[in-house]
Amino acid sequence: MARPGADPVGPDRWIAPHGAFEGRNRHYLTERSSSRENAVVTDHTKARAPFAPWDRRELPGLFTVEDSARRVGNYKWAEMRLFEALGGWVATVPELDVKMVLGRHTYHHAWHSELWHKRLPELREMNPDRLTLPANDAFVTFMDAVREPEAPDLTIEKLVGVYRVLIPRFISAYTYHLNGTSRITDAPTIRSLKFALQDEFEDWRDGEMLIQSLLDTPEKIRRAARRQEELEQLVLASGGIAGPGSLGEPAQEESVA
Amino acid sequence: MKKMLPETELARDERFVRSKIEDRIFDPRGARIAARNTGPAKMATDRPAAAERSRSLMHGIFVGEVQALEGAGRTCFDFDDTEAPFQLKLDMARQCWDESRHCEISIKLGDHMGTEIGEYTESTFLYSAACNPDPVLRLCGVNRALEGLAIDVFSTMKEFGDESGDPVLEFCEDWMLADEVTHVKMGSDWLRRLTEKDPERRERALEFQRTVDSIFNLGGFRGDDEENVVQLARRFRELAGFTEQENDSLSALARESTEQARQMAEMATAMLDAQSS
Repeated sequence: MARPGADPVGPDRWIAPHGAFEGRNRHYLTERSSSRENAVVTDHTKARAPFAPWDRRELPGLFTVEDSARRVGNYKWAEMRLFEALGGWVATVPELDVKMVLGRHTYHHAWHSELWHKRLPELREMNPDRLTLPANDAFVTFMDAVREPEAPDLTIEKLVGVYRVLIPRFISAYTYHLNGTSRITDAPTIRSLKFALQDEFEDWRDGEMLIQSLLDTPEKIRRAARRQEELEQLVLASGGIAGPGSLGEPAQEESVA
Repeated sequence: MKKMLPETELARDERFVRSKIEDRIFDPRGARIAARNTGPAKMATDRPAAAERSRSLMHGIFVGEVQALEGAGRTCFDFDDTEAPFQLKLDMARQCWDESRHCEISIKLGDHMGTEIGEYTESTFLYSAACNPDPVLRLCGVNRALEGLAIDVFSTMKEFGDESGDPVLEFCEDWMLADEVTHVKMGSDWLRRLTEKDPERRERALEFQRTVDSIFNLGGFRGDDEENVVQLARRFRELAGFTEQENDSLSALARESTEQARQMAEMATAMLDAQSS
């Protein structure tokens, strides 16, 4: 026997046609929501569907708690090494506009590392330092190479390493995590990923525009390309910021394993 | 990239002209200029060459901000995770952003006031305080001494903007002042936390701060009196966590420096007079 307030239409008509939410013949998007009447505004005790009809989030995700924590620890390690390098470079670049942009971006990446630092205990790692690790030795080699240039005439090499190689890797690793993780169980990570990604996109654009403004001769274009190629080889060997599987890549993951 | 970048390696474009502090002090023209009686040195609209002096000070603020940015950036890089805690580095990264904004503000204010990058020389002794190999001493020298000085300078410039009817200058200096109060608090906080169980290290850090303060009081640049170009901003200093005792001690140090500078100027003038007669 139907409970009071139960949907008279039943679960066989979950997908509502346009306009179906008006009037008595309302239809529902999920079985769960079909068991409740939408509450009338004036009747605050009447049960409402726990999920709005437009809420399409699902429970399953690609990552366990441990998977997510491991990736977050890799992100924190990489963001730390990046903000340290950007801060260190400020004094070594003669171009005033670059100097000031690096100063701003230093904080962005420090803040990302802080977001990840705070997320780790929520992912059952009570000692965040334990998971603040590079994905593997090859990634350390790559980061060392990114951070290596020092001389004042190497601004192109510094910027290409960060804005044409490393930050695009952050964007892709973060996007993969964002798209693959459970939108319900791992929502706090998703929120931090979105904040970080917004900065990454804007920082990438700032950096790319600086690079374009510096590449004013064929030789400088070749320098930038050489630097990018050298670093791409290194990051490829590491598998990316979270190691093999940074972007899923199951075939690669298996071959490395 | 190596750790600990010396001030001689600071990268600059072709507009910047570097000068040494000793060249300024021992400039033979300085004694005759100092001997002129032009009234109180305090920045005020009724003082001779007030506009020129404010532009010069603005340029000084700009190069100071560049060096403060570089110093904070180096503190992010120079120390590993055991030498400087993660949270300290996060504070320094935040300071990088703040100093970067201050550079932008100072460049635009320079344009607004009619000066340009490179019109005046740059001394890099501010950055040299940021080269101390001990992060506690570095923070004491930079965040307590120099950022404390910045509070005084911005407060003086804010008042000057108000007096001279320049709302843009007053507005911008007030915003920068707010950041500097935060930076001093960071310095005080880290001094307390990192030396909690090491009073000897704390004393060394405070001694380093006093040395940096003395350098920047040189010639009576900053103090409580009309004789000082920049006035001690006691109210904002208290907001930043400096005690009344610390402010009094700084004021006494400033009077001492002013008196020393006056005596040096008198001696130099006497020597010049003796040479010319």
